[in-house]
Amino acid sequence: MIPVAGGEYKSFYVSKTNKPLKVAPFLLEEYAVTNLEFLEFVKANPQWQRSRVNALFADKNYLKHWESDLDIGLSNKKIYNSPVVYVSWFAAKSYSEWKHRRLPTLAEWELAGSAPPENVNYASMTSYILNWYEKESLPVLPNVKTTYRNTYGLYDMHGLVWEWVFDFNSFVSSGDSRNTSDDNNNLFCAGAAINVTNRDDYAAFLRYGFRRSLKGNYCISSLGFRCAEGFTQRR
Amino acid sequence: MKKYNFLFFAVILFVGCNNVNTTAVSNNLDEGKGSVAKNSAVAPESIFNLTDTFQTQKKNNIVLASLSGKPTVVGMIFTNCGYACPHLTADMKNIAAKLKGNREKVNFALVSFDTDRDNPEQLQKFASMMDLDKDWILLHGNEQAVRTLSVLLNLQFDKDAEGNFSHSNLISVLDKNGMLVYQKEGLDADHVETVEKINELLK
Repeated sequence: MIPVAGGEYKSFYVSKTNKPLKVAPFLLEEYAVTNLEFLEFVKANPQWQRSRVNALFADKNYLKHWESDLDIGLSNKKIYNSPVVYVSWFAAKSYSEWKHRRLPTLAEWELAGSAPPENVNYASMTSYILNWYEKESLPVLPNVKTTYRNTYGLYDMHGLVWEWVFDFNSFVSSGDSRNTSDDNNNLFCAGAAINVTNRDDYAAFLRYGFRRSLKGNYCISSLGFRCAEGFTQRR
Repeated sequence: MKKYNFLFFAVILFVGCNNVNTTAVSNNLDEGKGSVAKNSAVAPESIFNLTDTFQTQKKNNIVLASLSGKPTVVGMIFTNCGYACPHLTADMKNIAAKLKGNREKVNFALVSFDTDRDNPEQLQKFASMMDLDKDWILLHGNEQAVRTLSVLLNLQFDKDAEGNFSHSNLISVLDKNGMLVYQKEGLDADHVETVEKINELLK
């Protein structure tokens, strides 16, 4: 676990009442949970096997890249140490609890992810991330710790997979962008004044849009997770 | 920029195409937690699979499955909310009034986002202030339970630096088995259909 200094997290969007959030120092896993690590969880928790999982908690794509319930598959050897994907929010949350950890909050994750890379050159953080978003996904997902390490010592915060956060459903906006702004005022509380703080941070905008489009049981090819822990939790 | 826009929508389309209906074998989110839902026949896609414990305004500990047997109208609110939440509550009261003779056959539940301030005492105060009769159930839960419920109901909420919340204004209808059957977003929404759906469930 890597300590992440607390700080203030300023969301890329703000409303008039929305001040920067204070984030307490916390611990975050050095890299995303891998297929091998997730297999241990599935072995210990049969209700999370692919054939047994409740569709309420994981859709039909859950672990679809594995050979079978308890076998990633020899032909998949290259991804043993790659981030596990095709996992739902419920599965990620349950894994974290099994490890006596938890999912990071959105503010924690964004704060940790905003630290600059240590070992790659880039014009700006945003351009580095956008460059990754733009790339076509590789046929085989690379192993963890193969992109960059940031100044906290965290690997692959951007560049391998998107990651679930505890409050992924916290971007309050209307479900239907076709609504006129007049209608929107009644759909959600305090949402009318939403504004963007940093128009250059298009990468953050994409992440918010992506999270907004998720449901808790979605399992998709580019979405994994890593666990967090509070310092107090540790004692 | 255009390219990125395209990517953004491609992502949304991709995610949007994810179908949810699959074979389902009943299991609870966390088999170690709670006992009520564990051995009873909770339908696989029922919200009652959430086994976390909530506290009522009367300080009773309950799991959502204890609401089974009657349809339930659910709203998520916080009592320090100046405008939207009293309004949403009033909308639910209107639904109750429109049910007329069927009113007693339906549960009305309000679940608070505010895990810090909305303890049972505060919820009881809110119930009195809003003139909610004893058939209403107001629930306090921990952060995990409340977030999980919001995810199951596909509802967004966010806590700001001052401890207040922005949130979807959403009224959900569960059938007597906890299946999500209908949702209506918005304040002062036309709830004719909501009432119709509830009445259908009672047939």
